[in-house]
Amino acid sequence: MCTKMKVKILQWHGVASWTWNAQDETCGICRMAFDGCCPDCKFPGDDCPLIWGSCNHAFHLHCILKWVNSQTSTPLCPMCRREWQFKG
Amino acid sequence: MQLVDDADGALDSWARFCDLSDELFGGAGDLSAGPRLAPVVADLCARGLAELLRDQFIRSLEGIFRSNAVKKFWQQFHPYCNSSAVERIKFCVQENWPEDILSKALEDICLEKNYQEKCVLALVHSLQSYEDRSPHRKSKALDCSSSLMPRYQLMVSSVLLTTLPLSFPEILNVYFKKKLEELNIMMAGLDGSDPFDNHDLFERNSTSAWHSEMDIDGQEPGISESRNLVKNIGKVVRDLRYLGFTSMTEDSYSSAIIWLLKSKVHELAGDDYRIPVLGCVKKWIQAVPLKFLHALLTYLGDSLDNESGSSGLKSPLASRPSSFPGIGVPSEALVRWHMRLEYFAYETLQDLRIGKLFEIIVDYPESSPAIEDLKQCLEYTGQHSKLVDSFISSLRYRLLTAGASTNDILHQYVSTIKALRTIDPTGVFLEAVGEPIRDYLRGRKDTIKCIVTMLTDGSGGNANGTGNAGDNLLEELNRDAENQENVDYDDHTNIDEKQAWLNAESWEPDPVEADPLKGSRNRRKIDILGLIVSIIGSKDQLVNEYRVMLAEKLLNKSDFDIDSDIRTLELLKIHFGESSMQKCEIMLNDLIDSKRTNSNIKTSLSKTSQTVGTVQEETELSHEVLDATIISSNFWPPIQTEDLTVPASVDQLLSDYAKRFHQIKTPRKLLWKKNLGTVKLELQFEDRSMQFTVAPVHAAIIMQFQEKPSWTSKTLATAIGVPVDSLNRKISFWTSKGVLTESVGPDADDPTFTVVDSTSDFNKNSTVNQLSERFQITEEEGESSIASVEEQLRKEMTVYEMFCIAEPSYDKSLQQLQSFLSGLVSDEKLEMRDGSYLLRK
Repeated sequence: MCTKMKVKILQWHGVASWTWNAQDETCGICRMAFDGCCPDCKFPGDDCPLIWGSCNHAFHLHCILKWVNSQTSTPLCPMCRREWQFKG
Repeated sequence: MQLVDDADGALDSWARFCDLSDELFGGAGDLSAGPRLAPVVADLCARGLAELLRDQFIRSLEGIFRSNAVKKFWQQFHPYCNSSAVERIKFCVQENWPEDILSKALEDICLEKNYQEKCVLALVHSLQSYEDRSPHRKSKALDCSSSLMPRYQLMVSSVLLTTLPLSFPEILNVYFKKKLEELNIMMAGLDGSDPFDNHDLFERNSTSAWHSEMDIDGQEPGISESRNLVKNIGKVVRDLRYLGFTSMTEDSYSSAIIWLLKSKVHELAGDDYRIPVLGCVKKWIQAVPLKFLHALLTYLGDSLDNESGSSGLKSPLASRPSSFPGIGVPSEALVRWHMRLEYFAYETLQDLRIGKLFEIIVDYPESSPAIEDLKQCLEYTGQHSKLVDSFISSLRYRLLTAGASTNDILHQYVSTIKALRTIDPTGVFLEAVGEPIRDYLRGRKDTIKCIVTMLTDGSGGNANGTGNAGDNLLEELNRDAENQENVDYDDHTNIDEKQAWLNAESWEPDPVEADPLKGSRNRRKIDILGLIVSIIGSKDQLVNEYRVMLAEKLLNKSDFDIDSDIRTLELLKIHFGESSMQKCEIMLNDLIDSKRTNSNIKTSLSKTSQTVGTVQEETELSHEVLDATIISSNFWPPIQTEDLTVPASVDQLLSDYAKRFHQIKTPRKLLWKKNLGTVKLELQFEDRSMQFTVAPVHAAIIMQFQEKPSWTSKTLATAIGVPVDSLNRKISFWTSKGVLTESVGPDADDPTFTVVDSTSDFNKNSTVNQLSERFQITEEEGESSIASVEEQLRKEMTVYEMFCIAEPSYDKSLQQLQSFLSGLVSDEKLEMRDGSYLLRK
């Protein structure tokens, strides 16, 4: 017996959350959540992106920039002390 | 020898004096004995017997007065005085009682007194003529002649007062009440015209003959009537004073006026709070009692206040006006009366309004005229504490009870704040009244939730929304705040020296009831929101509650329209500070971002699907139907996620969407919360279709029935990946809509659900109600579904029973029931056969 009822979807409004998909929970510099934002930002996401170093450590962009700019010699990764290079 | 002669002569003169005075008293209006009295009096005075003569004369007058006039006078009132309290009421309702008796009795006794006065005057003349002839003895006899009249007056009033029946003041009171009421009715009849404006009439009246009948020609009958009425009252008052009843009379008509004023205030004020009454009351005071008093005082001739200073005794001569009343300038007595009456009116109205303050505040702001009245009254009487006490007790009794909903209490609290702010801008009394409400609300669990709803809900936010009751409180508070800020601006920043001086001069101390710890009135702005937040204790709790409610609201939105929420948030930021609203702001920002991202993803998806056209046909679902709210979950309140397996077609859409998101926003990823959101869908049967807006889980359930018309709950639960009990809860949505039916199979724990797919039956009888419709359907479906029919009917029965319980008893009459049933018969729902009602088939 085959039903004659058809369901037509007019609109499906779903809910999703986004994540940076970083391996760690929090930024090693500001200790704030990666999916949150750095202390200087108001809004997470596009306004406060993450950046990965060639060593695969991730930080809030604003945090690592501050760190890099404060170093007199070659900047090192705050986590592993290797030379800091932005992952291309 | 000479001594004996003298004594004989004295005895002789004395006897003649007694004869003559008896003749004078008994003369019935004949005063011819008067002149003959003079030689005898002169002789007796010459013998030094003036005082004796005077006392004897008064004593005999007293005897006559007491036995004739006074006795007759009181006898008129005996029927009333001797009757019981119940019978007295009968007297009071008689039309002309006590008017007729009173004026008649007064007239008689005054006539008698008047005559006796003439006798006294005759003696006074005799004494005076003796004095004139013998100047060297002037002092002693003069003393007698001038003290004669006062002594007589004293005698009259003391005789009357010592014989006064206890209920005489009561009679007077009834008299004045009746007369004033009559006058009031008359005055109400002749709105506008002013019968008492003619001062001249009363001046003439008071200075010329008292008993003259004034003809008022060419006047409206009503005016002359009321003028006559006042004149009659005046006559009674004058007679009473003449007899020495001055203070008793005044008490009587004062209390009658006060009584009338009180009933007038009650009549005007009533239970309608939407109109101001104070003005009417004041006008009425001017129109009736003051006019009356003015007329009365003018008539009595003491409109210049000379009554308070003098003793209760007043001769008719003394009551003649010592100067002419200034026209248009109210006398002191009248001004005093005016103030007294107004104060009384204020107090009466105030008591009346305070007694009903609870109802008035329920009706606020419609009742603001009543509040305004009350404010004025209280300014005048200063009895604010009465208001506080009475209002708190009615709050306790009527509002702060288990039966009142938290919402109602909060609304009443807000109205109270607004109303009392009008009455008392310093907020001192509000503090006292608000404390019990706040205390009580702290004990309720749903207070926070209600407060947040009250603050943020309502039609508010729409720019075109009219400021009606649906307007949310926050909007209103904001308007308030703006107004207050404007005032502030005027007060402090922009003042010149003159204004500063004026401000300093208008400084007033706080009311004595103020709590000195709470700061002065200048610092104490009445902040409704602050007062409400103080119920909860801290703003953090309130903000948190708001965040939870906002989250729920936003997640159920199927469009991205959040303008009103943004506005609400901005207002909350003003009150609570930006930092505490940070998370809420991010939530709203997520919605804005989602809208943008969503349209980006959809445009790029539709481009790809155009190139790969076949995919769309396979799934039968366009990417167009999918929208997404993408949240920054760290900033949202914890969200309950449940597993849900959506149909493959939808799942495909979701994963396409997530992939595209990852492409656009690398390295960010999208995680679906599949149980959240809203789905608009249409159920299509052969001949009809129905639209629903449901949760994803409902959509997942019903979509399973496309492939298979009936499912057991266990298999269905597995198919959509939810626990069985949760499924059973959710699926009841569809059974309640009549889309699915439930039937108990072999396993009682595992019912079967079937689509109600009765296309052929639906059009058969489209007008009949749902009950019979379903009944017919199941009948034709045969035995397999009988159980379910019975069960449905049983369910319906319990629903009906619930209604029955809700209504304690059937309270309609047999006739009402019959007319209701015959209405159903004429609608062809029922039919009547053999005296019983049957469901029409």
